[in-house]
Amino acid sequence: MVKKFFEWLKKPMGLIAVGIAFLALFSGFAYWLNTTQQSPDQPIQFPHKTHVAFGIQCLYCHPGASKGPAAGLPSQAKCWACHNQIAKTQSSALLAPLKDAVLAGESLEWVPVAIVPDFVQFNHRPHIAAGRNCEECHGDMSQVNVAENPQVMNMGWCLNCHIEAAGEDQEKLIKLSDCGTCHY
Amino acid sequence: MSEQFSRRDFLKLAGLGAATTAILTGCGPASRYVKREPYQQMPEYNSVGQSTYYATTCRECAAGCGLVVRTYQGRAIKAEGNANHPLNLGKTCARGQATLHGLYNPDRVQGPSTGDWDSAIQSVADAFKNYKPGEIAFLMGMAPDHLFDLVGDLTAAAGMDAPIRYGALSMFESRATLSKAAENLFGQPGLPWFDVGNAQAVFSFGANFLETWLSPVAYTRGFVGLRQSETKLRGVLVQFEARMSATGAKADHWVPLRPGTEGLVALAIGKLASELRGGATPRIFSGVNPAEAAEQAGVELEALEAMAQIFASNAVLAIPGGAALGQSNGLETAEAVLALNALSDNFGKPGGVYLSALAPNQTEYSGPASTEEMAGLVEKMKSGAIKALFVHGVSPVFELPAALGFKEALANVELFSFATFPDETAKEAKHVLPDHHGLESWGYQRVATGVSQSVLSGSQPVVSPYYNTRATADVLIAAAQLAGGKFAEALPYKDEVEFIQTKLAALLGEGDGSFSAPDAATFMAYFQQYGGWFKNSNALIAPDGSGALNGSIEAGEAEFAGEGEFFFVPFVSPTLAEAGANKPWLQELPDPTTTVMWNSWIEINPATAHELGVEDDDVVKVSSEFGALELPVYRYPAIRPDTVAIAFGQGHTAYGRYAENRGVHAGDLLGARFNEAGDLAFGGVKVRVEKTGRKQPLSRMESIMGVYGVGLGGEEH
Amino acid sequence: MIRPEEIKMSAEETGKWGMVIDQDICTGCQACVAACAMENNITFVGEVDSGYGRSMHWIRIERFWEGEYPEVKMTPQQPMMCQQCGHANCEPVCPAFATVHSQAEQLNLQVYNRCVGTRYCANNCPYQVRAFNWRDYQRPEPLQNQFNPDVTVRRMGVMEKCTFCIQRIHKAQDTAKSEGREVRDGEFTTACAQACPANAIVFGRVDQPESLVSQLKHRRHGVKHLEELGTLPNVTYIKGG
Repeated sequence: MVKKFFEWLKKPMGLIAVGIAFLALFSGFAYWLNTTQQSPDQPIQFPHKTHVAFGIQCLYCHPGASKGPAAGLPSQAKCWACHNQIAKTQSSALLAPLKDAVLAGESLEWVPVAIVPDFVQFNHRPHIAAGRNCEECHGDMSQVNVAENPQVMNMGWCLNCHIEAAGEDQEKLIKLSDCGTCHY
Repeated sequence: MSEQFSRRDFLKLAGLGAATTAILTGCGPASRYVKREPYQQMPEYNSVGQSTYYATTCRECAAGCGLVVRTYQGRAIKAEGNANHPLNLGKTCARGQATLHGLYNPDRVQGPSTGDWDSAIQSVADAFKNYKPGEIAFLMGMAPDHLFDLVGDLTAAAGMDAPIRYGALSMFESRATLSKAAENLFGQPGLPWFDVGNAQAVFSFGANFLETWLSPVAYTRGFVGLRQSETKLRGVLVQFEARMSATGAKADHWVPLRPGTEGLVALAIGKLASELRGGATPRIFSGVNPAEAAEQAGVELEALEAMAQIFASNAVLAIPGGAALGQSNGLETAEAVLALNALSDNFGKPGGVYLSALAPNQTEYSGPASTEEMAGLVEKMKSGAIKALFVHGVSPVFELPAALGFKEALANVELFSFATFPDETAKEAKHVLPDHHGLESWGYQRVATGVSQSVLSGSQPVVSPYYNTRATADVLIAAAQLAGGKFAEALPYKDEVEFIQTKLAALLGEGDGSFSAPDAATFMAYFQQYGGWFKNSNALIAPDGSGALNGSIEAGEAEFAGEGEFFFVPFVSPTLAEAGANKPWLQELPDPTTTVMWNSWIEINPATAHELGVEDDDVVKVSSEFGALELPVYRYPAIRPDTVAIAFGQGHTAYGRYAENRGVHAGDLLGARFNEAGDLAFGGVKVRVEKTGRKQPLSRMESIMGVYGVGLGGEEH
Repeated sequence: MIRPEEIKMSAEETGKWGMVIDQDICTGCQACVAACAMENNITFVGEVDSGYGRSMHWIRIERFWEGEYPEVKMTPQQPMMCQQCGHANCEPVCPAFATVHSQAEQLNLQVYNRCVGTRYCANNCPYQVRAFNWRDYQRPEPLQNQFNPDVTVRRMGVMEKCTFCIQRIHKAQDTAKSEGREVRDGEFTTACAQACPANAIVFGRVDQPESLVSQLKHRRHGVKHLEELGTLPNVTYIKGG
């Protein structure tokens, strides 16, 4: 019986069946993989590019980046300071969640896209101080609506840049490639 | 498997696939979706990603140390001492460090017992109206002072009895005895302050000033001064006590006296020292026979002579402390030890005895109630003279010896508890109206002792209240307004903050302050910013002890209750104190002398243990006239063979998961005998010790560190 | 085989950060232990596990008894934490390179995400100052609100130990750098030294002769524990008197 089945597999119909089964499994796997790579649902489909187009600096809404570890999310009061003067805020469906949250005194729950694991102690400030621009890591926000993470933020990616930044400076290289610089 | 595709290749490929999947999904956004809520409105002085620091006052004991609490995104992260606070200069004890385990304790009272605050406040107002003023009593803890002042205003205006303050710490410190002795000797009431830091030598009679006594952080600084100074030789510390305390462990000489003979020994040393110095023997020492005193104290005469030698050749500061004063002859002991200082002529001089500075908004010394006054309160409750009792900042069901019958007397009163934690008293209460945790509270605390300046320490909330709690001051103000009449007139404030601001306004015009301000609001802002207000000048009171050596003190024998063969020394756990048992990291701190964690133990001299046929971890039954406990033995090398000791602080029947049903309550063995100052003679009990044959391994830091297989039974390991 | 003359003694040490601990004034009050636990997100393990010696103290206060009653004495209290050895026994035995020497800060690092929990390092540490996470110890709500965001929360199977509060070192360096200056002596300190009511713990740069910690080390008679093993510890103990 089993032998018969294997013989059938070698016939054209069998080969086609194997091909279909393989394709089905592969596409299923690919779909599942794809779902894991989707950007998370955000409470508001926040158009970064619109805000950047108005000339608003990154640090206006994420001022923590120049001062310390976390860039931070703007408080709703900050959003509202501009938006309650904009007529569109009252009518736009896109902005309804903001309006509702502010008026109800509730918090919006954002899902950060660029985060590092718990065991990495990342600090924005020295990166900004070293002359890095936001878009070098976070991508060009003038091109996207909802923020996406343009790259895999793993240790190799960090270290490549650190080593490059150190150049010929041995002392700097020691500091920038020290485990204890990020892990404690 | 074919030749071309081996099993090894397959495994490699499969492994690669799995790894790829793991890496891709592991790094994909789906694997680590977290939610972040930005502030709706950023609080003042906050900045994204930056810590904010608030100055406040530690409420773990009543000393009034200043704290600076680091907060981050609205959460309190770390408490540290306030470096600008004159009392603690940036330092804290272990309990101050662990205060956040109180704030974020999983077992706090989360809201009023009635469910909503309106009806809770109504019940307080009803009690004000329905009972006669004389039928209402307020029992307050040693902190905070602003609430004590508020209740004082309320009770005075409404014709109620003044609030009573009490705490187990004040009992073990024997504060009432200390201040009474000072009053008898100097003709002036006050809490003595001993300038350990500038002394040449210190003779401490049972004062555990490095642990929990009065103001341990300030006294530790004094101890450092005693040991190390640019201007004098290393000072000597001599400790007289039956059981070596953590303070005694730092002493150069430990003299194990029989409990209750400290006063006698002080006089004997005084006599020997004055003889060594030559000249006439002061009258106060004339009735003492050193040989007999040594005999009674159970030490060699040579030991006393050696100490007298030290005394004669140094300006010695003599300190009478809690363990020595918690005896039936405690007041005489305190007077005898204080009088010793006259031999060194150090009253009101550096390295000597002062009376503590009064706080800025204080005109006369007021101490906590003695345990005898508490017994009076219990009597009134039993007889029905008091019908409503309000309790804040203290858990009398736990902190008073069971022999006083407080819990039984509660049957006759309507009990209102303002407890932050579900303690034993809150469990008995009809109404529980939880106060905020100290770090969520406004307030001020008068620094009672420990610093030369006059200091008022300030509290402000460092985080917003985590649960549905409400400041007791606000509850009382609201209830007084509801009750109307003289109640409302007594507390004409919008809220607690306005009350504090009104009280502080009196300090506006005072000069010599750490800061000055043009108006009350600015003063309040600075008060918050600096964590208090103090005067710059030395405000210690130099007492007049000129007659100290001419009196006569009858240091009689201490009386002991019970027929047991062992003296019993209860001592406050240096790490837990009276209210630390619900903080898990305080439980996990090893006791400084025995290194025991998470439980109770009885300290027995190894020789005695051998006679009793018990080893470490053998459970014994300890019984006094008043109660019995069963707990494991710790063979303690530094305790008299005729004495046993148990730490006070464990044995809770409520108070949250970390405290409940853990260890034993040393207070259960205590009786209700008082000394002449009204303090409890907690050392005046004799106990019997019997073997039970059971074993209960103690969790200890020493010896069993890293030795696997030696330890505690129970769950799987 | 290392010959005795090859063992580098403390005079030639090359450390950067160090401590001086004065045992004469340490009162054993445990404030440092509590401060360390609060700062570094150290978990408590409960009575049973602590009875097995699994408590996670990064710093402990050792004390011993001398003599017999009544001539009994407690030896000076001895706070014991990772000595941040210049030539550490824990480092070469780690198969995962999880405990490595920091070239930049001259500290012994414990890289939690690399640690696979062999416990070789703890077995090799002559000071017995490493603590192993035997379980995922739970902190019930809302205790985790107190977590320090600057320190990783460790999980089961990971070794940990005193870091000399490296998060504070980084913070101070970062602040100093942002202000265009060097870190000043005494500008920051470790949690234990900050809390100590007796100021018995002093922390600072041992490679800068003018720092307080260097001066204390040389001015008073200090010893280093087990330095005959060639570990080059960076903690100096002053015994007393």
